[in-house]
Amino acid sequence: MQGPEVAWYLVVAAFLFATGALGVLLRRSPLIVLLSLEIMLNGANLALITFARHQGDETGQIFALAVMAVAASEVVVGLGLIVAIARKRIDLDVDKLNVLRG
Amino acid sequence: MITAAWICLVAPLAATLAITLLGQSLSRRAAGYLATASVLGSFAAAVVVFAKLWGESPDSRSHASTVWEWLNAGSFHVGLRILVDPLSVFMMLIVSGVGFLIVAYSIGYMDGDDEERRYFAYMALFVFSMLLLVQAGNLVILLAGWGLVGLSSYLLIGFWHDRPSAVAAAKKAFIMNAIGDATMALAIFILIQHRQTLNFPDAFAVGPGHGWLVNLVALGLLGGAVAKSAQIPLQTWLPDAMEGPTPVSALIHAATMVTAGVYLIVRTHPVFEQAPRVLELAAGLGAATLLMAGLIALVQTDIKRVIAYSTMSQIGYMFLGAGLGAYGNAMFHLMTHAFFKALLFLAAGIVIHALADEQDIRKLAGVGGALPWTRRAFLIGSLALVGIPPFAGFFSKDSIIASALGRGWYGGILFAVALAGTFLTGVYAFRLYFVVFRGEPSAFVREHVTEHEHSGEGPFSMTAPVAVLAVLSVIGGWIQFAPVWHPVSDWLDPVAPPIATPSNTEEALASLFALLLGLSGIGVAWMLYGARRWSVPRYALGQRVLEHKFYFDEAYDIALYRPSVALAVGLKRWFEDPVIGGSIKEFATGMRDLALGTRRIQTGLVRTYVLAIAASLVVLMVVFVAVR
Amino acid sequence: MGNVVVWVVWVVAAFACISSGIAVVTFSNPFYSALALIGNLASLAVLYLLLSAEFVAAGQVLVYAGAVMVMFLFVTAYLGGRADAPWAGGPTWQQIGGVLAAGAILVEVIVVIGLKAGGKLSHEAKIESGFGSPHEIGRLFLTDHLLAFEITSVVLLVAAVGSVILGAHAHARGALVERGKEAGAGT
Repeated sequence: MQGPEVAWYLVVAAFLFATGALGVLLRRSPLIVLLSLEIMLNGANLALITFARHQGDETGQIFALAVMAVAASEVVVGLGLIVAIARKRIDLDVDKLNVLRG
Repeated sequence: MITAAWICLVAPLAATLAITLLGQSLSRRAAGYLATASVLGSFAAAVVVFAKLWGESPDSRSHASTVWEWLNAGSFHVGLRILVDPLSVFMMLIVSGVGFLIVAYSIGYMDGDDEERRYFAYMALFVFSMLLLVQAGNLVILLAGWGLVGLSSYLLIGFWHDRPSAVAAAKKAFIMNAIGDATMALAIFILIQHRQTLNFPDAFAVGPGHGWLVNLVALGLLGGAVAKSAQIPLQTWLPDAMEGPTPVSALIHAATMVTAGVYLIVRTHPVFEQAPRVLELAAGLGAATLLMAGLIALVQTDIKRVIAYSTMSQIGYMFLGAGLGAYGNAMFHLMTHAFFKALLFLAAGIVIHALADEQDIRKLAGVGGALPWTRRAFLIGSLALVGIPPFAGFFSKDSIIASALGRGWYGGILFAVALAGTFLTGVYAFRLYFVVFRGEPSAFVREHVTEHEHSGEGPFSMTAPVAVLAVLSVIGGWIQFAPVWHPVSDWLDPVAPPIATPSNTEEALASLFALLLGLSGIGVAWMLYGARRWSVPRYALGQRVLEHKFYFDEAYDIALYRPSVALAVGLKRWFEDPVIGGSIKEFATGMRDLALGTRRIQTGLVRTYVLAIAASLVVLMVVFVAVR
Repeated sequence: MGNVVVWVVWVVAAFACISSGIAVVTFSNPFYSALALIGNLASLAVLYLLLSAEFVAAGQVLVYAGAVMVMFLFVTAYLGGRADAPWAGGPTWQQIGGVLAAGAILVEVIVVIGLKAGGKLSHEAKIESGFGSPHEIGRLFLTDHLLAFEITSVVLLVAAVGSVILGAHAHARGALVERGKEAGAGT
């Protein structure tokens, strides 16, 4: 294979995953949290594709496509929730959405 | 004969069950008749057994019958065993005979009471329990009967259960009896371990060389006897037991139950004979009790209490006799005492019933004019009590006193005490007679008696038993006149051979002294209360001590009751509340606090949960890598 | 020569990827975050191409960057893009914990990669030219991984239904529920 070895791709994937995690943990707007979640998923996808190339087996790519479909569905539902919350005039702040507290 | 013995035992039980199960469908009168009939049936069966036994030769007069094997542990067998022998038949006759008369009397006495059925059920239960006790063939059945009579006594003392004093008296009687039950049980345990059997008489051959063991057993049995028979130191329950109806006092606390202790000693005399010190202790306790009770009876103002202390005193005589080894004499006195004591109680009951349940002798004064036949009956009973010939007590009491003579210095003391007792008996018995039945009627009497003059002294059911008992108190003693003819002692000889047989001179001496002292006692009572020539001496201290019954109740209160209560309160404060309650509460509070603490993890914030997931992910990755 | 080109492309794409990722997380305006994400997705598509995953790269651009991000942008525009100030005030415990956790994850993953797979990662498998082509992906979807295919379609259906219900207005939602009940009761 030309270009960097597989390991470098994995490093990039790790970076993406960590960055996404950071976003989920640090941001207060649910919209941004969803976006960060997308980044994490993409990082995982990159890892999957990388290993597919490494093994020479397209299963990884199939998996990545499935992940993409699921991510899309999840974004749909998540955005629907956010819109419903906004319609109820509730603050879009993850810290304020704590009705399920014990 | 065995069948008859079983019928004698079971008939009152059947009556109890019938009255209990039939409940309201049985009229109150019918319950009374049923109970009376059952006890009469018992008496008839007892007579049959007696007749059959009499027909046999003296050596073979012992039959046992075991119906059900209860415990079978290796070599130890215990069953429902009854024993028919001279001693048990003697007691069966007394219990069922006198019991029949008293239950019949109750029909009239308790007439009109709302809970008459319950009363007769309890009375039948009592007769059954007492018969079980005397017919028992082993110590376990005897203990069963022992406990049941204690129960019946409790139920009957507290019969009028809306009276707090009655309830308290019932509890007191039961608890004090329980002390005796406990010591008896301990004695039985020792016997089980040692003899592997509890059947009479095999259980008693403990054998020499076990000195302290036998003493323990004898002490345990004596403890039970002392509790049941209200001797010192467990005597305080008997006067309070007078809270029950008068027939109850007559049957249970005069004629039968309280004499069970004497029966026990006579029945288990082989054990006592192997522990002579304990036997001497029994005699000493009897003597002390008879003296103390006689003194207290001098100042009592409740008619039933005087008679109760008299009972205590006379049982002291029986204990004295049994402790001295004069078993036949003690049992004979038991029989005559049953007659005249029941007579005294039932006659007192007629007076109480006629005077609206009043029992204070100052208020009852002078009622003899209105109730002449009752007066005569009471006179007969009192004469028998003091032991004036030809009445019953003379023949039985003097033999006991005579038995004390052959025993060295200890016997001498007992002899003197017994004689002092006869003097006191004369004084208190005739104090009661003169105050209640002689003299001018008090205001109270005049008020109440005019209503009853037209209906006779009482219903037939009440006067007839009194009449029968009066006759028995006259002729009952004629069955044995110690020096000359003694069928009672001969009858009981195979079972309980006496170890003290006073000689004729000793008998005569004792009789003479006793008679003289008795008569002088009567004379003193006449002077004080009859003719009122002397005034009653007033010694403040003595009066107070006697009125407080020698401060036994107060002593027990301080020595036993208050420390127990303090202990209980202290335990509650220092142990139960902090440790147990505290630990339970602490446990609960701890769990609650734990839950509250754990609850704070549920912040409701998504970010917290995600952080938790991320952190666990970090840790798990390390673990994963390290493990692989 | 080709190798150098690939290397350069890789460096640029990787750099773009990482920086846009950081940008998504740090911008306070959600609109800018969404735009940064689009850039992220595009650079990822380039990386996929470098890894011979042509179909996936196309799918990424069409589905993700085309559909999903458009949805995001619609919603962000609808909501008015309220900006929050995540970095205001000092760092809270939550933030410190978050940074630590994310950093730990990063370090661990790299260490794991280095430790466990060091040697083996250098040798890639040989692939033929059809690797990652639509033909291959389609064949696999319809033979070896048919179940995954079907389940994924069900998931998409469920998401569609859910979004319709979530999106309906309150009284319309009630009417929807009513109609659903009647349909169920009638059958």
